[in-house]
Amino acid sequence: MGSSNKKKKEKKKDFQKAKLKVGKAKPKAANFTDTSFKSKSIVVNQQTLVTDDSDPAEQFKQNLSLAINAKSDNHRRDALAYITNQLSGTPPNNPVGTSAVLTKLLPLLSDGSASVRTQLLKVLRALPPAEVGPHVEKVLMYIRGGMTHLSNDIRSDTLNILEWLLEVAGDETVSCPGGWMKTLNSFSSMLGWNPNVGSALNSKGWTSSSRATLGTKRGPEAQARQIHVLAKFLQAGFKPEAPTPYNPMAYWGNIYRLPGTPSPFAYLNLFGTPRDEDNEMYPDRISRQRIFDAKWRVAITRGMESAKKEGGTVGRAAATLDKALAAGLG
Amino acid sequence: MVKRKVAALEKVEADLVNLQYKIRRDPRSYAQEFHDQWLAYDAQRQIFISSPTTASSEDVKKFHDLVDLVAHVADLYPEITTPFPDQLKELLNQHHATLDKELREKVVGSLVLLRRKDVIDSTSLLTTLFPILISTPSKTLRSLLYTKIISDLRESNSKTTNHKLNRTIQTVLHNLVTSDRTSTKGMWATRITRELWRRQIWTDARPCDVMKEACLSDNEKVVIGGVRFFLGGDKEREELEDESSDEDVDIKKVKHQGVINKKTKKRQKAYEKALEKIKKHERKKHAPHPLNFSALHLIHDPQGFAEQLFQKHLQNTKNKFSLESKLLILQLVTRLVGLHKLTIISLYSWFVRYLTPKQLNVTSFLASLAQATHNLVPPDVIEPLVVKIANEFVSEASASEVAAAGINAIREVALRQPLCMTETLLQDLVMYQKSKDKGVVMAAKGLQSLYREVYPELLQKKYRGKQATMGLRAGEIRQRQFGEEEEGGIEGIELLERYKEEQKRKKQEERALNSGDTDKKEDNDDSDDDGFNSDEWEVASTDSESSGGWIDVSSESEDDEPAKKKRRKGDEEEEEEDAEDTPALVDTSTEAGAAAAAQAEINRISKLATTTILTPTDLAKLEELRREAKLDKALGRSSKRKKELIDKHIEDGLTADDIELPALLGKKTTKEERVALAREGKPARDEHKSTQAIRHAKKDAEGKSTTNREKARKKNFLMTIGKARAKNKRSLVETSKTMRAHIARSKSGGRRRNGG
Repeated sequence: MGSSNKKKKEKKKDFQKAKLKVGKAKPKAANFTDTSFKSKSIVVNQQTLVTDDSDPAEQFKQNLSLAINAKSDNHRRDALAYITNQLSGTPPNNPVGTSAVLTKLLPLLSDGSASVRTQLLKVLRALPPAEVGPHVEKVLMYIRGGMTHLSNDIRSDTLNILEWLLEVAGDETVSCPGGWMKTLNSFSSMLGWNPNVGSALNSKGWTSSSRATLGTKRGPEAQARQIHVLAKFLQAGFKPEAPTPYNPMAYWGNIYRLPGTPSPFAYLNLFGTPRDEDNEMYPDRISRQRIFDAKWRVAITRGMESAKKEGGTVGRAAATLDKALAAGLG
Repeated sequence: MVKRKVAALEKVEADLVNLQYKIRRDPRSYAQEFHDQWLAYDAQRQIFISSPTTASSEDVKKFHDLVDLVAHVADLYPEITTPFPDQLKELLNQHHATLDKELREKVVGSLVLLRRKDVIDSTSLLTTLFPILISTPSKTLRSLLYTKIISDLRESNSKTTNHKLNRTIQTVLHNLVTSDRTSTKGMWATRITRELWRRQIWTDARPCDVMKEACLSDNEKVVIGGVRFFLGGDKEREELEDESSDEDVDIKKVKHQGVINKKTKKRQKAYEKALEKIKKHERKKHAPHPLNFSALHLIHDPQGFAEQLFQKHLQNTKNKFSLESKLLILQLVTRLVGLHKLTIISLYSWFVRYLTPKQLNVTSFLASLAQATHNLVPPDVIEPLVVKIANEFVSEASASEVAAAGINAIREVALRQPLCMTETLLQDLVMYQKSKDKGVVMAAKGLQSLYREVYPELLQKKYRGKQATMGLRAGEIRQRQFGEEEEGGIEGIELLERYKEEQKRKKQEERALNSGDTDKKEDNDDSDDDGFNSDEWEVASTDSESSGGWIDVSSESEDDEPAKKKRRKGDEEEEEEDAEDTPALVDTSTEAGAAAAAQAEINRISKLATTTILTPTDLAKLEELRREAKLDKALGRSSKRKKELIDKHIEDGLTADDIELPALLGKKTTKEERVALAREGKPARDEHKSTQAIRHAKKDAEGKSTTNREKARKKNFLMTIGKARAKNKRSLVETSKTMRAHIARSKSGGRRRNGG
């Protein structure tokens, strides 16, 4: 009985008319749907695919941001290729300036994709060498980060970039704050020639292979290349300075003229944090030689000797290094 | 094209997590790798520091990962990572406002991790985090830092109390509160102190001092934080303690699960854990209760504190605090006054302004006034207030709730200082028990019964009642003068003394039986008793035989002689005698002889209490005896209830609810109130209906049908009646056949042949 009564009532309910009341809002219909909504932000699902070809500056900027932010490797590489084209054209088109390009693109140095990294090198090579000089310190930071990266591919690609840097701004590279000692530090760590770390392990080991490595095999080619770049770096550091021709006005120029180089008093370190031995600037050949003598000579010589004994490509690279050392310190 | 197979090692190459795992397993072999990553971290840090605000998200991510790696293995390479903690601290100190959120969290987390690995100590961690906590504008960072600080303090106090660290932090908090009294930064001091007090990590006077300073701050929020601590901090602490003891493990259940489930290492571990927990629980149960003083008792110089609070926040007319805040402060001041019996005369005249029925929250004011009254407040200070309450609240014209609240407030005041009342006023108020409203009647009756106990002369003769009249006539009820204190005494000490004597006598008799030479033994016994008995100081030894010592036998009075003779009748009679004796001693009757006996008893008591030192055994026994004799009942007619009341209020304070209580009497509650009352403390549900209905609704919503049983229950009666009738008409053979069939069917798995 209960259920049938209930059903009757339910059936009745469908045909009952809603009573209107004075002063009350009209009752909502049964099929009423609330279409109002709240949202903190508007999400656009699709981006416009139309590119504005008219303005090359805009396009350059768009590609620059694509090179960093694009998810796909190919997109990044293509964007970099576009930038390379623009930079190497005649006349070069660079609406944002070398500094901005460098700051934006340097994080790509440790990008996961090899093609992006090689393309990055091309971009860098396309940059005007004279404008790279002031940013050497920053580039070196990324290079040091890349040199000690976990992945071997990134390490070796970073060495390419270091080579490029030595080519375009060798002097600045070795004389900027931290450029000499810290880079050497990274090199020794890379080669396993660090005197502080793992030396006990090396002396005990029965194999001449310099270090235990994580994962992949490290062929002699990689090591040879590292030694080779190290030799280049040392050469740059120990390059005899060309004597500046006598200029009778130099004294007065120093006193009264505005300095021609950016941050001419950087060696005073007036505004930065106090530097330790590693972070210090070593602006001239003598000071570089002195600190190298005190800190690295023994370790690198020892590493070099053992590398020479290995022979082959590594031995040959070590011989180059030996030559560079002899020339620099002798 | 076939996907190139990637060698496992090659794939994980750039994986810092994997490297971390390997380093942990074999730190010596991976020193070189770690050094590489350390250099990478250093380079990344420099990149980051050179432009912290514009660092690209990729750089931040990389830096984040490297910080994570280094922090996790820093304890394995202490030489290399020496500068690491300082670098993190510097980073956090200088860039906490601009750092990326995740990186910031990682840095804080890494610092805490380093603390856990004992690379840095708690003090340096807390002194780094604390300044950031009070200065950062980011809410998430604040909450993170707060939890980290609390957890670190808990951790470092978990095994033993780390006094040095606590003192350092308390000093920091104290300085924070006192250095800038107008800023809201003191809030953090109050929050941290309160939390640690709640968890019983800080239980001494120093946190109270911090809170005291917070109360005297100029910032309203800080003041209220401090005041709330004193008013509710101890209760919170107790509640937490109760809660923590609630969580229980059902060891039987765990054991049973071990039997029926597959035996795995995990289950074994769970079982051991449960066992450990139970053991811990047991240990905690049997451990002596930690003696924790309430914060109100630990305040140094309560008089000065209460005066300062009152003058600064209440009396000062320039103060712009909200009424709620002022009420809270008033509550604290009056609580202190009542608890410590302080004298702040200007407080009472300050009250006058607020004692009108139109005043917002007037019942809170009334409660505070009652709280502030104690027996050392001059009656002539309170009398005008009582008169004012009577005039403003209690009249035929005023609403019944108002009148009830007024009379009740007067009662609460009079309970603490009975001398504040004049005869005419009291008689007038007592007459309100003829009122029509139940609340007013109850309040008036309460006032009357109070005065029957404390000062019956003020009442008219017909309202005094039997007990009070008798007491007055006997001269037993005597009005105490202002400032007169009750004589101190130990409840039930005479019982203890008698018990001791009995024990001694028993012993003596035993010895006499053994040796047959009583007199000699008695002498020996006396000399023995003077020796020090070290057993007495152990409560656990319930050996009642040993409680013979420490009594000077020469102080025995002659009253005990008859008891000695009765002793031979046997133990049962003896006990009865005791029970009869006890009330007689206490309930002083009009007989002169009994009064004299009582006097003698009093003399003797004072002697026992003053000539001997009561050992813990004695005290335990005393407690037991008191319970046995139901002393409270016998004693309690007059002063017990009053004492209980006052005790209760000293512990909990008086609230507005207490004042409003009689007005609620005789009021019918509405349905909403009843529903709200029923719903209280139960999990939230949208509608108030039966559980059955809720279950139905749930099934309906899930699209499920009813059970067969429910269907059968709902089936139309007329449809079932035919079958029922047919069943009744079956023959015996038919019935047995169906039954057999039923058994056979159930054996083969029912109609559906389940499992058949």
